[in-house]
Amino acid sequence: MKASYNWLRDFVDTNIPPRELAHKLTMAGFEVEAVEETEEDAIFDIGITPNRPDCLSIRGIAREISAILEIPFKDLSTKIDKEEGEGPVVLIDTPALCPRYSSRIVYGVKPGPSPEWLSKRLESCGIRSSINIVDVTNYLLLEIGQPMHAFDLDNLEGKKIVVKEADNTGTFTTLDNEERRLSKGMLLIWDVIKPVAVAGVMGGQSTEVTSGTVNILLESAYFNPSSVRRTSKSLNLSSESSYRFERGVDLEAVTVALDRAAQMIAEIAGGKITGMTDVYPGRYAPRKIAVAFNKINSVIGVDIEESVIRKTLLNLGFKIEGEVDFITVTPPSYRNDVETDIDIIEEVARLYGYDKIPATLPVMQMRPAPEHKTQELLKTLKESMVQSGFLEVINFSFMNPDLLDKLNLPLDDRRRNLIYIRNPLRKEDAAMRTTIVPALLNNISFNLNRGEKMLALFEISNVYLPSTRKLPDETIQMAAVYHKGPISSIWQSKHEGFYDLKGALENIFAKLNISDVSFIRDAPVVPYLHPGKSGVILINNEKIGHIGVLHPLVAEAFDIKGDITVAEIYNVANILKAIPSKVTYVSLPRYPYIERDAAVVVHDDVTVSSVKEEILRVESDIIEAVNLFDIYKGKPLPSNKKNLAFSIRYRSASRTLTDSEVDKLHSEIIRRLQINLDAELRT
Amino acid sequence: MYNDLHAIKEALREESEKASSLQDIQDIRVKYLGKKGLLTAQLKYLGSIPKEQRPEFGSLLNETKKYIEALLDRQEGTFKSAELNRSLQTQQIDITVPGCFTPCGHHHPITKVLDEIVSIFISLGFTVEEGPEVELDFYNFEALNFPKDHPARDMQDTFFISDDVVLRTHTSSVQVRTMEKNTPPLRVIAPGKVYRCDADVTHIPMFHQLEGFMVDKHIRMSDLKGVLQLFIHRVFGRDTSVRFRPSFFPFTEPSAEIDISCVICKGSGCNVCKGTGWLEILGAGMINPRVYEMAGYDPDLYTGFAFGMGIERVAMLKYGIDDIRLFPENDKRFLEQF
Repeated sequence: MKASYNWLRDFVDTNIPPRELAHKLTMAGFEVEAVEETEEDAIFDIGITPNRPDCLSIRGIAREISAILEIPFKDLSTKIDKEEGEGPVVLIDTPALCPRYSSRIVYGVKPGPSPEWLSKRLESCGIRSSINIVDVTNYLLLEIGQPMHAFDLDNLEGKKIVVKEADNTGTFTTLDNEERRLSKGMLLIWDVIKPVAVAGVMGGQSTEVTSGTVNILLESAYFNPSSVRRTSKSLNLSSESSYRFERGVDLEAVTVALDRAAQMIAEIAGGKITGMTDVYPGRYAPRKIAVAFNKINSVIGVDIEESVIRKTLLNLGFKIEGEVDFITVTPPSYRNDVETDIDIIEEVARLYGYDKIPATLPVMQMRPAPEHKTQELLKTLKESMVQSGFLEVINFSFMNPDLLDKLNLPLDDRRRNLIYIRNPLRKEDAAMRTTIVPALLNNISFNLNRGEKMLALFEISNVYLPSTRKLPDETIQMAAVYHKGPISSIWQSKHEGFYDLKGALENIFAKLNISDVSFIRDAPVVPYLHPGKSGVILINNEKIGHIGVLHPLVAEAFDIKGDITVAEIYNVANILKAIPSKVTYVSLPRYPYIERDAAVVVHDDVTVSSVKEEILRVESDIIEAVNLFDIYKGKPLPSNKKNLAFSIRYRSASRTLTDSEVDKLHSEIIRRLQINLDAELRT
Repeated sequence: MYNDLHAIKEALREESEKASSLQDIQDIRVKYLGKKGLLTAQLKYLGSIPKEQRPEFGSLLNETKKYIEALLDRQEGTFKSAELNRSLQTQQIDITVPGCFTPCGHHHPITKVLDEIVSIFISLGFTVEEGPEVELDFYNFEALNFPKDHPARDMQDTFFISDDVVLRTHTSSVQVRTMEKNTPPLRVIAPGKVYRCDADVTHIPMFHQLEGFMVDKHIRMSDLKGVLQLFIHRVFGRDTSVRFRPSFFPFTEPSAEIDISCVICKGSGCNVCKGTGWLEILGAGMINPRVYEMAGYDPDLYTGFAFGMGIERVAMLKYGIDDIRLFPENDKRFLEQF
């Protein structure tokens, strides 16, 4: 709301410098966002909170200034010099939606430009000057906060006003020359045959006041706030009028504005004013609110004297009854926001000054905080990934449904079961995401396009899947992508990126003491992974995620070149439940170990874990560990063979082993590998 | 015989002084202490001397042996360390080659700031609660005293899933959910993602908030001031001024907006604070009794406060980030700075 300093001073006698006034208003709850000072005036741009429609007017802000500065408030004159004849006939069909409608006719007006002082005031507050009659109605909208409308009486059939809801779904052309589709339930102003205005929102073109208008009918009314808001929303049409009606105008000021407008029009544009019609079925009933002085002080945490509280409330126009301890407060009609004692407490605190309230610390009862295992796990996961060199990203929860096609997901995939936003900002952000992966792939391609290399990214966020309940399932998912790129450092290892990402995941499980983890080839895992370079991740034989090189066609669809590995943990809750509830110490070995190497040439299809399993299948309690230390492919081996070199560590818990018993067991192991896995010893 | 021992010592000293390598020392050792060595030869005389003189001669012999051994050991040590030094000199590496390290990852700045804020409140005895991001209109609006068709709803542009399901517009939605499950006293923070149907230079449609609230008997507005002042001093430093001014939120009464002295210009006025010297950082207030009614608490028994802040805003002020759109962009060069 823009407010002119000079206009405000019509109501309060003050010479306080504009900037100082701006500060005082801000500290009383009326945030002055800007002060524009000119030679003759200063314009305040004030943010009016939705609870204070009374201050969407010069008069309302001036009342506040009077209370803040503790100076008298001078109200305006509403005297009509001369009135003759009856006011128009007004019928209200729906009193719940229109508790008050007042009107006067002014006969024989002369439309024309407004005097300079009037158009200047309007323009200083952001409203363009038009013809004098319209300017006066706008003037009162700004001054009193009461939206008004002037109809061309001669275009009103029957010269009558009827307030009733739209009865069909016809159209109506508003003042702005737009054809609007009406629907049932919208409150309209009618003459005897047709609608002439959308109540509280905008007048109609057919009864618009023009330069040729001779007689006018002035409307000043109160329309139900929710009704105006619904109509304005459904027409997608908001106006200075609807903005005020939605928030609630002053029921008791309806005729004040009417009289002042009629008198101003007669003075500026001439004409004869008729008597007033004031149909007022929903009469204003003042509220009485009881409040205890000690509650005021205990809620705020201060010790304000009774006399100060009384004075503050009186300055704000409240009526006070009662003597000691308790008072009964009657707020003025324009303060529709004051309903209960807490609202009174706020008024006292606001004018007392928040800056005068001391800063104290509450006295608290000790209470153990509940455990937050999920929170702790998320912290561990993030910490571990960061230690492994990954950058954490946070993407929007929205997803472009087309991305699922890029991922090559089949039509019946559950991730295609999307929750849509009714009013997305862009079509690309229309759905809630069911997978984090596409956003991470977009992050990779975004960074590659900026010339970045070696991209290791992860995100831990919710995904949203429909459920049978009212709200969707929100599951915390983790996904990581690793794009190794060309060698950019002398230390960069030359193995496939897959193993870097796998290692980062294994680190997490080791940190959490989860031991039963396996990575199994189980093609096809998901259609967007390379069928030969992917697998599922199992904890305690339960599938919790997958890892694999991105399918080359999918990589191409996301504009990514080079080796890129993706891992997903479907639900971090599955990791949480696998964390052992306690860790038990195993006593340290007392006897030395003996190590023997086993280098075997096997067919390419034979996996490292199958060799390991074969080794461990030997019945013996002295095999402590089996570690792969080398893989070799190439000459002189045939192209379908590889050499795997293991180091096997033997140790007994009860004695020192002899070379001969270890040699015997070791040869048995080699023999088994030769028989069962068709392995050859490397010579 | 005594003279012989003396002569042996003298001869050895002379010889060892001339030694020029580890090998020379070894040779000397053999010459004197070996099986056929000069000192070993003296042992033979032990049987031929009178019985009563034997202990004296024996101990003298021993002393001489120890003397020789010590002398030779010392010499040998000198040669060994010289030799090691020589060989170490030849084993040089290029220490200017860059060190081998795993490139360090980074938390997203939002995670960093959120973790810091959460830990401050946890140290004050607050506990963390969560609520769904796709939320019922009831918890996001109705229970917080935003009636349907009320203009207060215009304060927050809302994404709708259906008539009564929205993307939560603030973490305040966790308030009534938590109250329904627990009885006071409550000290709760609720961090998380929130959504507003708004995108321009200074707005992104998804951002992070942290809601905090405390409910008990006798909680005062002055306590709200105390707790938030303490928090702000922890995050922005003790020399930061804090200003409370009246405002409006449907779910608090009285309501306040909290400004801090501009972190850039320290209050003298700059373009970040639009010349005012103040930056808005938090919304807060005493919980409106209507919220207690919605949650089934007795509004005459309990009072409490609530506050909420935007994490992106705090991060921008803390790190001097001038564009909020950098947060969801996830540019490596941005992320690596935190």
